[in-house]
Amino acid sequence: MPLDVEFDHVSKRYLVAAPGSAAATGAKLLSLRRWRGAPRLPFWALRNVSFAVRRGETLGIVGANGAGKSTILKLLCGITTPTAGEIRLYGRVAALIEIGSGFHPELTGRENVFLSGTLLGMRRREIAAKLDAIVAFAGIDSFLDTPVKWYSSGMYVRLGFAVAAHLDAEILLVDEVLAVGDEAFQARCLARVEELRRRGATIILISHDLAAVERVCERVLLIERGCVALEGEPRQVVRGYRERLIAAAADHQGHDSRFNADALDRPLHV
Amino acid sequence: MMTLPQPVRVIRPVSWGTVRMVSALGTLARHGDLLRTLTAHRVSVRYKQSLLGPVWALVQPFALMLIFTVVFTRLVRMPSDGVPYGLFAYAGLLPWTFFATATTNGTTSLVSHAQLVTRVYFPREILPITYVIAALVDLAIALSGLVALAMWFKVPVTTHLLFVVPSLLVLSALATAAALLLSAWQVRFRDVGAALPLVLQLGLFASPVLYPLSAVPPRWSTWYVLNPLAGAIDGFRRATVGVAPDVHALAISAVAALLLLPAAYIVFKHTEATVADVV
Repeated sequence: MPLDVEFDHVSKRYLVAAPGSAAATGAKLLSLRRWRGAPRLPFWALRNVSFAVRRGETLGIVGANGAGKSTILKLLCGITTPTAGEIRLYGRVAALIEIGSGFHPELTGRENVFLSGTLLGMRRREIAAKLDAIVAFAGIDSFLDTPVKWYSSGMYVRLGFAVAAHLDAEILLVDEVLAVGDEAFQARCLARVEELRRRGATIILISHDLAAVERVCERVLLIERGCVALEGEPRQVVRGYRERLIAAAADHQGHDSRFNADALDRPLHV
Repeated sequence: MMTLPQPVRVIRPVSWGTVRMVSALGTLARHGDLLRTLTAHRVSVRYKQSLLGPVWALVQPFALMLIFTVVFTRLVRMPSDGVPYGLFAYAGLLPWTFFATATTNGTTSLVSHAQLVTRVYFPREILPITYVIAALVDLAIALSGLVALAMWFKVPVTTHLLFVVPSLLVLSALATAAALLLSAWQVRFRDVGAALPLVLQLGLFASPVLYPLSAVPPRWSTWYVLNPLAGAIDGFRRATVGVAPDVHALAISAVAALLLLPAAYIVFKHTEATVADVV
């Protein structure tokens, strides 16, 4: 089977500002270090992650918040670049994200469809051809020539999402679709993903909805602290993830009691 | 025989390679529709819910010209290469205003589009470039005022007028370079945006806008023309008021633009790779 995505020993380091007290900041004002920017600590969001996705496969990625799932997505989109390693893509990538942030409030719905469509890499001709489908998907037809600043927040989100849903791409990145819009719209989104899958698109689904991941995906990766912790058949990985979650929760309680004992020495801030 | 499929896109850590820069230009060309759409919206949005609309592009340099004309003809006498001072000042203020507007708006372009930059990938240089093009549109509108003034003062149409083209090309390249470089720095150091108004104010007096290049004392002139804007602004004015060009000064500006634009682009693309992490 041909490959569509190869993640080859990818690491990603972010530089995060070091925590500092007000006094330390004051001292820094006078020191030379200030002129080299705030002191930064390295944080490895991904460490040596490798995986591959076959053409037409649906891969699920699960993991706790901050495990590195979104970083994988950002790297796949090209929003940020890896610190080490290489990502090879054998098709056009589209992220099924809510692109309403690319909207300009003063512009009409129609103008914004063209703006966000071209932002996602579509050609104007392509957008013109799909305009009717996009408008129908979003359900905003009578407001197409109204500036989006007068849209309800629901209309705004739906139109933003509808543009992304109509990209022609071989590789589709889906991040928490279920959090967008009302139930009817969510159903439409899932139906759209399903339709693209039937047409042979490769799909990478990132979700906290383990039931949906188990149902839709053919293979699942569990990401933990920036590494691939488990990989394989959805039922097994999801079961493994649940077991780890339970173990972590028990462990966390232990940590909590120790932390509380420590905290008694300090003044209490509410 | 089986051939291995070639990847459509390879995402690698940042490097300074020249191949990367060439491929970056290819990516930019493929996003031509985005550049067009974004620029058109930039221009149309600016004058929405405004009564005078695009006329503002004319009013601003015109008002400045009137003020400077009063100061430099009634209070003190300023040489102006034998050209009526109002025309002289307006022809200098146009290229200057273009440069200042493009640089000011371009500098904040990445930071003001943080929402977008962290969500979708597109060649980020498109953002500063749209502001440069929008400023060019303003310049085109303000040119109508220059044509009117030139007709009023009966400026003869000569071949000198042809020098408008190289002057504007050099000026646009310099504005693009400044917008690219400053927008990239602004992402990490907001001080850039804070210092810019001051620097531009100094630049207005360090460039031949309100006085002619010929009024600069000879012992300063070697240093003076190191300001790459000097030759371009002077070139634009001489061309539009019918004075023979100072080819030497214009050539220095052109060389500076040829060096600065690629350098700014390389720095920009290098910063771009991690813009979404920092902005």
